[in-house]
Amino acid sequence: MSAVSGFGKALVIITGASKGFGRALALSVAPRLAAGSVLVLAARSDDRLQELKRDLCRGESGLTVRCVAADLGCKAGVEKVLTETRDTDPDIDQLLLFNNAASLGDVSRYCRDFTDVDEVNSYLSLNVSSALCLTAGVLRSVPRRAGLTRVIVNISSLCALRPFPSWVLYCSGKAARDMMFRVLAEEEPDLRVLNYAPGPLDTDMQLQARSSSADDSLRNTFSVMHAHGQLLTCDQSISKLMTVLLDDKYPSGAHLDYYDL
Amino acid sequence: MEDVISGESCRNLGRALCIITGASKGYGRTLAFQLSCLLKPGSVLLLVARTADQLNEVKEDIVTLYGGQNKLDVRCVQADLEKTEGMEKTLQAAKETLSSEMEHLLLINNAASLGDVSRFAQTFTDPEEVNRYLSLNVSGALSLTAGVLQAFPRRLGLRRTVVNISSLCALKPFPSWVLYCTGKAARDMMFRVLAEEEPDVRVLSYAPGPLDTDMQLQARRFSGDLTLRRAFCSMCSEGQLLSCRESGAKLMKLLLDDDFPSGAHLDFYEL
Repeated sequence: MSAVSGFGKALVIITGASKGFGRALALSVAPRLAAGSVLVLAARSDDRLQELKRDLCRGESGLTVRCVAADLGCKAGVEKVLTETRDTDPDIDQLLLFNNAASLGDVSRYCRDFTDVDEVNSYLSLNVSSALCLTAGVLRSVPRRAGLTRVIVNISSLCALRPFPSWVLYCSGKAARDMMFRVLAEEEPDLRVLNYAPGPLDTDMQLQARSSSADDSLRNTFSVMHAHGQLLTCDQSISKLMTVLLDDKYPSGAHLDYYDL
Repeated sequence: MEDVISGESCRNLGRALCIITGASKGYGRTLAFQLSCLLKPGSVLLLVARTADQLNEVKEDIVTLYGGQNKLDVRCVQADLEKTEGMEKTLQAAKETLSSEMEHLLLINNAASLGDVSRFAQTFTDPEEVNRYLSLNVSGALSLTAGVLQAFPRRLGLRRTVVNISSLCALKPFPSWVLYCTGKAARDMMFRVLAEEEPDVRVLSYAPGPLDTDMQLQARRFSGDLTLRRAFCSMCSEGQLLSCRESGAKLMKLLLDDDFPSGAHLDFYEL
């Protein structure tokens, strides 16, 4: 890879890396990294992370892959990921944090069914708080320095902008995250912050959406999209994301959608 | 704030159960007074807040002013809405008012905190701190709304209205206000989803404008972002902050007119 088509020598952190979009992202980013780069992969399942690490190390030279089995829904999990980002090579060109980990939440129920505060809290803990705290922690352990570009990507969704019936947790969480990263972009002009909505992906999460959404018309829409091959592959969506990141022309804090690019 | 809203004296919100969270001071307190004179005799006003003393004072003041003439039943619930117990206590109090003659269920989700605005997003490394904030400001509002809607299901002749006290911060990022902006954005979306799901429920996210309250004082004194702090200070010194009464009056008009699109975010300055 030439310097222009890559991220240089980088520290890259991807959450939710064991499957779906996160896994595909790791596979797509790795070949764009220069020797001496470090790729930190976080997810709950260690087995799958190790498997991904084996796939990544096949043929790659000079890339250090660190796997962190951690539950980001709790403080200890966030700390565990942070530990792996400390004492990194001081002469990296780029820091790239992909806040990808997320859950769909229970889409089989409507707002009126969410009477349990603790249930909502635990959803927001994984999907909102952990993304803020991990980002804050990473920015502290990799401080601003001349010659270093720091990029924070939030894997967002159309749901951050548009309400979907029976998806109250997902929509609220994505709207919260977008705003959080917009505030960050306002506060830290030296950062590059991107909210990327990857489009409807053919992943496990989509399967869950298709089979469990309480709202009939939403469920049907997804089923039709699936049947007609209209869902995107992770690679399709990631190739646009890579272009946006490498071109590096987006306004920091922007929400960009696959379909708008 | 105590006088009847001019020109609205002939209109009312029906015989209602009206629940106001964060009713002990500031905007919630003003809304409690303003709503009191729009409720038909036999209505119940349920005031919820963490501090019992202030809440009881509000109740006494309302009863003295309107209690007799409007046959208004004012009840106080001392509850912490970020906790399951607080939620249950509030719901229990609401259920005790159940009556077949009730025409209107009106829930005002007003309780909120500003969060620590003295710091920037970079410093929020503790998930427990963020979780606590979201629990009161997001989860609490969803769970209370859900519980109330379940306790008072759809019925012919019952109008159900849910108000979210929102903010410009739900739409626009303010530096050093990451918790507040994030919480308000989450709430707006939550109530938009509710509006999509329940076409018979009237849902409104109302941004009251910059109010002259304790929260504003906090914003002026502690905001980590200097530009923002100065902007608020000059608004304050130039008398540009809104009184709760002025902002509340527009909300009352919206509720009386009842023609807002359900789920809409409406701002004081756009009305």
